Amino acid sequence: MSEGLTRRSFLKVASAAGAAAAIPGCESAGRNIIPYVVPDENVIPGVPSFYATTCSECSAGCGLVARIREGRVIKLEGNPKDPISDGSICARGQASLQGLYNPDRLAHPFLRGDDGRLRRISWDQATRHLDSHLQAAAKGGKDRVAYLAKPHGPTLDKVAGLWLKAWNSSRAIFHEPLANPAASTAAQAAFGRKDAPVYRIDQAEALISFGADFIETWESPIEYSRQYAAFRTPKERRGKLSIGRAAYVGPRMNLTAAKCDEWIPVKPGDEAAVAFSVLHVLVQQGWVSPNAGFDAAALKSFVDGYDPEAVSKQTGVPAETITQMGQFFGQAEGAVALAGTDDPQAHLAAFMLNAVTGNLGKTVMFLEDSPESNLSAPAAIDALIEAMNQKQLEVLVIAGTNPVYSMPPAAKFASALRQVPFVVWCGTVPDETAEHAHLLLPIHHPLEAWRDTNPRAGIYGLGQPVMQPVFESRDLGDLLLTSAHTGGADSKSVPWENMADAVNASFQQIQTAIGDKAKPADFFAQSLRDGGVIAEAKVATAKLNSAVFQTKPKAAAAGSDLILAVYPHIFLYDGRGADKPWLQEIPDPVEQLVWDSWAQIHPETAKSLGVSANEVVELRTDQGMVAVSALISDRVRPGVVAMPLGQGHTAYGRYAKGRGVNGFALMAAGARSAAVKISATGAHNALVTPLFGENMMGRNIVEAMSIEELARGEAPESEKAPGPYEMYAPFPYPTHKWGMTIDTNACVGCSACVAACYAENNLAFVGKEGVENGRIMSWIRIERFTPPKELADKAPQMYITPMLCQQCEHAPCEPVCPVFAAYHTQEGINGQNYNRCVGTRYCENNCPYKVRRFNWYAPEWPAPLNLQLNPDVTVRGAGVMEKCTFCIQRIVAVEIDTRVHQRPVRDGEIVPACAQACPTHAISFGDMNDKRSEMMQRRDANKLRTYRVLDAELNTLPAITYLREIYHEKGRA
Amino acid sequence: MNRILIPVALLTFVGGLAVLAFSQRPWAPRQDVEQPIPFSHRIHAGVNKIPCQYCHEYARRSQTSGVPPVQRCVGCHGDALFGGLKPVTRPWTNHTQPAFEIRWNRVYTLPDFVRFTHEPHIWAGVACQECHGPVEQMDRIQPVHEINMGFCLNCHEKRGATQECFVCHH
Repeated sequence: MSEGLTRRSFLKVASAAGAAAAIPGCESAGRNIIPYVVPDENVIPGVPSFYATTCSECSAGCGLVARIREGRVIKLEGNPKDPISDGSICARGQASLQGLYNPDRLAHPFLRGDDGRLRRISWDQATRHLDSHLQAAAKGGKDRVAYLAKPHGPTLDKVAGLWLKAWNSSRAIFHEPLANPAASTAAQAAFGRKDAPVYRIDQAEALISFGADFIETWESPIEYSRQYAAFRTPKERRGKLSIGRAAYVGPRMNLTAAKCDEWIPVKPGDEAAVAFSVLHVLVQQGWVSPNAGFDAAALKSFVDGYDPEAVSKQTGVPAETITQMGQFFGQAEGAVALAGTDDPQAHLAAFMLNAVTGNLGKTVMFLEDSPESNLSAPAAIDALIEAMNQKQLEVLVIAGTNPVYSMPPAAKFASALRQVPFVVWCGTVPDETAEHAHLLLPIHHPLEAWRDTNPRAGIYGLGQPVMQPVFESRDLGDLLLTSAHTGGADSKSVPWENMADAVNASFQQIQTAIGDKAKPADFFAQSLRDGGVIAEAKVATAKLNSAVFQTKPKAAAAGSDLILAVYPHIFLYDGRGADKPWLQEIPDPVEQLVWDSWAQIHPETAKSLGVSANEVVELRTDQGMVAVSALISDRVRPGVVAMPLGQGHTAYGRYAKGRGVNGFALMAAGARSAAVKISATGAHNALVTPLFGENMMGRNIVEAMSIEELARGEAPESEKAPGPYEMYAPFPYPTHKWGMTIDTNACVGCSACVAACYAENNLAFVGKEGVENGRIMSWIRIERFTPPKELADKAPQMYITPMLCQQCEHAPCEPVCPVFAAYHTQEGINGQNYNRCVGTRYCENNCPYKVRRFNWYAPEWPAPLNLQLNPDVTVRGAGVMEKCTFCIQRIVAVEIDTRVHQRPVRDGEIVPACAQACPTHAISFGDMNDKRSEMMQRRDANKLRTYRVLDAELNTLPAITYLREIYHEKGRA
Repeated sequence: MNRILIPVALLTFVGGLAVLAFSQRPWAPRQDVEQPIPFSHRIHAGVNKIPCQYCHEYARRSQTSGVPPVQRCVGCHGDALFGGLKPVTRPWTNHTQPAFEIRWNRVYTLPDFVRFTHEPHIWAGVACQECHGPVEQMDRIQPVHEINMGFCLNCHEKRGATQECFVCHH
C-alpha cells in the first residue's frame, strides 16, 4: 500500500472489484433440466395453463382464474364468467398469492411441549394426538369439543358440523370479526328477512351511503365499484345528459366519500339521525311512492321530530344539506340508500328510504332462496368463552380465524384459552392465536384446496386446488373427514372420504336443485371449467313491515367530545392482509400511508389537543390504550379520531409483526367507535408516504369538468399544447403504436391495478424505510390530490388518477441515457434495457411524471415467495432502472402467436395487467394506429373530456390520453 | 492520494470485468457436459433418423423445446422393462429424487435478461442445427456456436427478422 492509501480507501477499491464480479443477471440459470416422468397431456412447459377457482379473501366470493406456469400459480385474475367479479379482482385478491407463498407459513405440524416450546412432529403423530384428545373428550360427555372458525364455505362448514357430531358435540362457532349484525337486525325488523339485499347502483340516479364504504371494503367492493362507475358515467337520463348524484354520510372521507359529490361529515352514530331526517324531507315534500303500500299517517308521525333543523342542531349537519339530499334522492328515478355502520337504526333508516321511494325490487332486491348466513350470534361466542372459562371444553379447534387478535379485550379470550386443556390451531401463517395453541396444524391455503362458495342466491362458486401444496400441509376438510371417521361416523352420515368428494356431492345437490339435465360427471366437469354454476335467482317480494313505524327510533346517546372510529383497512381489512408485503407496501389510496397504523385527527382538533403531525399520541378508551402516530388531516370530522384496523400484530409472520397498533384492543364487542381520551406524548414517529404532496400546484395532472359543462358541450379552459413541435422527423410507427385511454371518472382509486402490476412484473417491495427514502418500486400508482379551497365548488372532492409511464412520443427520458438503455421502440413504447442500464438515473431525473424506478437494493423474495415470480419478466438486480413496459411480455406473446398463425392482432387481445385488473374498466389499451380500436373509439366518443398530462407545458406527446373526471357543480341540485 | 487511488480502482474494476468475461463467461454454452445417462444423439437422430421434435416436442409450441419425458423413452424402449411408470408429484419443499426422475445437465443457458422463445424460430423455418450444430453427429452434445447477441442478430439481420431490443430484453 502506498502512502495515503488508508484502510477505508482500500475497501473502496476492493468493493469496486467486487461490484464488477457481481454484475446482475450473469449468474447462470439452474444447472439441471428435469423432465416429467409421465407428462401431463394438458401441460406444455413454458405455456401457461389456467384454472378457474374462487377467491376466499373476503365474503364477496369473486371467481378467479389462476395462471399456472410449470406447476406453480403466478397470477390471479377475475373470472369473466362470474357475475360478481366480472373478470376483475381487487388488490387483496391479487395479493392472496403472497398468502400462498408466504415464507412464514407453518411448514410442518408442531406440538407444544410442557416447557412451552414447539416441537416438530410428523402428521401421523399429529393426528394421533388429536384423535386421542378427541376420544377422551367425547367420552367425558357431550359438547366437550368445539370448533371456532371463519365461514369457509357451505360444504366445509357442513363437514365441520358432522365432525363435531362424530365427537359428541354441537359447538360450532362461525366468527367474522367485522361481521355486522346490525344489518340483519334491521332487515329482520323492516322486512322480516334474515338475508341481505343485493343492490343495483347502476340502475339508480341517486345514492346516499350512510357509512357503507362500498369501494373499499363493504360487502362486495368489486361489484359495487363497477356499478358505481356505471352510475357515474355520463349518459342520457330523461332526455338530459347526466351522471348519478351521490352523497356519503360518515365520519371519515374514504374512497367512497371521495368519489361522491358530497361527503357529509358526522360523528359515528349520527348517521341514523341524518337518514331519518332525509326521510322526513321526503315525507314533507310528498316524494313518497304512492304505491309502496304503507300507512302514510304512521310514517308521518314516525319521522316527526326529525325535521332538518332539529337534526342539524343535534348532528351539526347543515339543514340545507339534508334538504338537498332529500331533494335529489326523492326526485330521482331509481335511488339507493346504503348503510354500513354498526348501528341498526341507520340500516333501518336506509331500508325505509329505499322502501318509501318505491325502489324495492328495482335497485334494492331481496332474492329468493338466499343463502342463510351461518355466522354465530354474539351471544353464542360469549357462551363459548363462558364454557372455556368453566372448563367445560377439552378440545377447541380454531381454524382460519384469529380471536386472540380480534376479540375485544373485555372478552379476555386469551385467558379463557388457557383454561382449555387442548387447543388445536389450524392455519397457514402462525398468528397470535397459534401462540396459545397446543397443537399447530398447517392446513392448505384455499388455492391448494377444494372448496365451494355460495355468496348469493343462484351463484355457486367451485374452488379447486390450482397447484401442488407448497408445504407439508393438509386440507382442513380432509383432516376433519378423516377424524370424523376415526370418531365413529359411519359411511352413511359422512359418506365422503375427502373434500373433493364432498364438494362433488354438494354440486350434485345443486344440480338437482336447479334442475340441470346433464350427466352428473359432465355437470361437475363443466362447473370446474367455469369456476361454478350460475342459476337464475328470482327477486323476492319484500314489503316494509308497517310495525316499524310504531316504535319511535331511539335518539342517539349524547356523544362525548372525542370519539374514536376504527374502520377496516382497505387492504389489511381485519388484519388478515398484514402478512402480505404487497398489501403493506401499496399506499392506502386516500391517506397514502404505508406499513403502519395511524390516528387521523382533524387539524382543529389537533390544535385544541396540542398534537402535532407524526407525534405519538396515547388513545385511551374504556377498553384499553394504544400509542400511535397522529396524522393531521382534514379528511376526518373534527372531534373524531379515525384509525384503520389490521396492524399491531405480535405474531403473524415477519411482515406483520411489530407494526402499528391493533384497533380491536380499544373496542367493545361489535363496536366500531368509542369515546376516547387523547394525550400527546411528545415523541415522534414519522408516518411514511411515497406521495409528493396534497395539491397539483396548478398543473393539469388530473383534469375535471362539470356535467353541466359537458351537457352544454363546452370543454373547460385549460392550457392548450402549442405544438407539437418536432425537432426531428416524426417517428413512423410502421405497425402498431400502443396507447391507453384512462377514464379518471371511472377510476375509484381501489389500487387493484397497482397490486396486479406487482404480481405481473416481479416488482420488489422495499419496506417502510425504503418507501421513506423514496425508493418504492411501483410502476403504476394511484395519485390523489385535493382541490384548492377557492375552487372547491368547481371541482370534484378529490382528484384520483392512476399514474404510470406515459410512453411519450417525445420522451424526456430517452435522449439523456448515455448508454441507450432507455430507447424508443418501433411500437411507441419507451423501452428500458436492463442489461444495458448502468444506473446513472439521468432518465429518472428527466422524467416529468416520476414513473421510473431505480433498484437501490438487490430485490429479495424470501423462499418460497420467489415461486410467484413471473418467468416471462426479467428479475432486475440492484443498480438498474426499471419502468412500466405496457406489459411487453403480454404484447410479445400475442405478436408471436400472430406471426405463427399469420393473422393480425385482434383489438382487445392484448390486455396489460393493470387494465385487466381494473374493476371499473377505467383503463383501455390498444393500437393508436387503429382508429377502430376500442381504446381510440373511447377517445373519440369523449372528445370533450380528453387531455394529456403535462403535454401543454412539455410537448411530450404521451401515448396515454386521460378522460376528465366529471362532477356536479355545487349549489345546483 | 486520488492520483493513485483512481487508476487503481479503475484497473481493478476493468480487471475484474476482464476476468469475468474471459474466464467464466456464464452465458456461454458449457463444453463437454457429462450426462447421468450416456445418451447418444448420434444414434437417435443420426442413425435412426428420429426427428428432433419427436422428443423435443414443445419447440413449436412453447418457449422451451422441452426434454422428453421418461415415458417417451419408454415408448420405444419398452414399458415392460420398467414395470410401468407413474406420474411423480411431490410438495414443493420435498427435494428428494424419486425413481425414474432424470436430472439432465444443462448445456445451453441464457442469462435471465434474455427472453428467448423457440416457437417463432421453428415456424420461421430455422433448422435446429443452425443454432445447436450437427447434433445428429454427436454422441455427447457439444455446443458449436456461442449463443450471444451477435450470433442472434447476425441471423436476424440476414432474415429480416426483428431487431427490436425490447422483444428479447424485457
